[in-house]
Amino acid sequence: MSEDNIEILLVEDSPDDLEMALRALRKAHLANRIQVARDGAEALDFIFGQGAHNGRKIENGPKVILLDLKLPKVDGLEVLRRVKTDERTKVIPVVVLTSSKEQPDVQQCYSLGVNSYIVKPVNFESFAAAVAELGMYWLLLNQPPKG
Amino acid sequence: MAADEQIKEPLKELQELKAALDRHAIVAITDPQGKITYVNDKFCCISKYSRAELIGQDHRLVNSGYHSKEFIRDLWVTIARGRIWQGQIKNRAKDGSYYWVDTTIVPFLDEHQKPRQYIAIRTDITERKRAQEAQERLAALVSSSEDAIIGKTLEGIITDWNPGAEALFGHKAAEIIGQSMRSFFPKERQQEEDDILARIGRGQSVKHYDTIRLRKDGRPVDVSVTVSPILDQAGKIVGASTVARDISERKRAEEEILRLNTELEERVVRRTAELEAANKELEAFSYSVSHDLRAPLRAINGFAGIVLEDYGSQLPEEGRGYLERVRNGGRRMGELIDDLLAFARLSRQPLGRHPVDTAQMVPAVLAELTSGANGRSLEIKTGPLPVCEADPVLLRQVWVNLLSNAIKYTRKRAPALIEVGSEEKEGECVFFVRDNGVGFDMRYANKLFGVFQRLHRAEDFEGTGVGLAIVQRVIHRHGGRVWAEAEPDRGATFYFTLKGTNK
Repeated sequence: MSEDNIEILLVEDSPDDLEMALRALRKAHLANRIQVARDGAEALDFIFGQGAHNGRKIENGPKVILLDLKLPKVDGLEVLRRVKTDERTKVIPVVVLTSSKEQPDVQQCYSLGVNSYIVKPVNFESFAAAVAELGMYWLLLNQPPKG
Repeated sequence: MAADEQIKEPLKELQELKAALDRHAIVAITDPQGKITYVNDKFCCISKYSRAELIGQDHRLVNSGYHSKEFIRDLWVTIARGRIWQGQIKNRAKDGSYYWVDTTIVPFLDEHQKPRQYIAIRTDITERKRAQEAQERLAALVSSSEDAIIGKTLEGIITDWNPGAEALFGHKAAEIIGQSMRSFFPKERQQEEDDILARIGRGQSVKHYDTIRLRKDGRPVDVSVTVSPILDQAGKIVGASTVARDISERKRAEEEILRLNTELEERVVRRTAELEAANKELEAFSYSVSHDLRAPLRAINGFAGIVLEDYGSQLPEEGRGYLERVRNGGRRMGELIDDLLAFARLSRQPLGRHPVDTAQMVPAVLAELTSGANGRSLEIKTGPLPVCEADPVLLRQVWVNLLSNAIKYTRKRAPALIEVGSEEKEGECVFFVRDNGVGFDMRYANKLFGVFQRLHRAEDFEGTGVGLAIVQRVIHRHGGRVWAEAEPDRGATFYFTLKGTNK
């Protein structure tokens, strides 16, 4: 799978949540072009074509970022801020995916320009449905402007 | 003829003298016994008695009672001995008014050197006396004043010094009069005297000016000073009066208040910081509970679900049942975490106060709660519900919790009876929710409003045990009270009050 055809960047450190998210995406037939990053630094390397992903073209995606907030090294809010303040990446839709219901997070995410925010439901069915719906929506219905 | 002329000339002079005397003085003549034999017009005028009323009377007629017996006796003894008496007498006129006369009584003697008659010549000094008395009163006022009252020249030389000044500064009048005021000004305040004298020179005063002066022993004293120009009769500024009041007590009190205020402010700042820190900690804790406890729960629930979905068909019935229990346990823990966070958030959330029409709120809540209770025989009676001052969101939560409890715990009744209303008890509006449900044993009533406290088994009635704890916290934050009355199997009534509810 080429790094330049990535449609979804899934940034998640918890192996359990990652497994469930991947399974939900597979069930929704969205799993063919997924890149996983396990912390904020890895996510930034991928998005900006640096470090381990040196040479990757920024213009080539991803089409949507599913972003956990609580991440090792660089946290989700920082990743969101970097993506949304860079002219080259700010058009990429970012969906924040977290278990936190606490107000400051929501407000901070919105002020940083998040496209959507979803609290990970504890129960499996709604979690799967939410991930699938979000992915579908941003990939299929909400085509980002070209170039 | 010549002799006649010789007598006529001095007589005329005497008459002219008498006329002049009558113009100036009050004249009376009495016999040796003191009977009035003659008065002039001025006597009648000042005493307001007619001549006829006076002749034949003695001077007791105009006695004011002001002078002592000794004074009167001394007068009579003097003139009876043929000596001239001089003095000031206060008399009373016919209309009761008083007048002062400067009096000279001259006895005229017969050949035996006995007084033949007395001539009294008097001058009206009532006005002078009045002015003198006023001045004496003023002087007494100045002497008795606790404030220092000081007179000084335009050059700042002290001319007057009352006992108050003596007490305040320690100098005796005798040792300070004639000295300069400068020695009372601390070194760094010498300029003040120049400024004060300059103002006085321009005819302005300095009023209630708080400053510091030095005592005789060099100790500083806090004073409030008023300095005003003194004018002579022509309106020319001739000096200054200084009134200085000791304000050390007031200053001490002011400093004490200032110190206490500063201390209080510091304490408030410290407490606020502590509270903010505690709040932050609580927020961090809530966040951690919300975020970190949920993740493993999601795994338990999620993977149990995945096993059921992907491998359910390969599991025996019993195994699937156990997995369901795992999922139910996870779900329940999720609810507990949600309720606990909601409860914690209650204390931090600022309390809004708005008029809330409970007569509208309660039916709306009931409609929402009973929409899912179809098939049940519910009889709901709503009594009077007044407008009250409360946080609408939080008060709504109270009604939701109380009414959903009533609906829940009457599940096994047909019909279930629920009564909502308010009554006035001891001048206070008390809301209540009454049901005919399973009730509870009043012995456990103290546990009712505790977090996670339940009086019923989970198999009988679902719930997390947070609903009534939320009710209590909301009511307490509104300054109200909440309590319950119940009997096992005979229903329960929950009461609450809110501060500021209209009757």
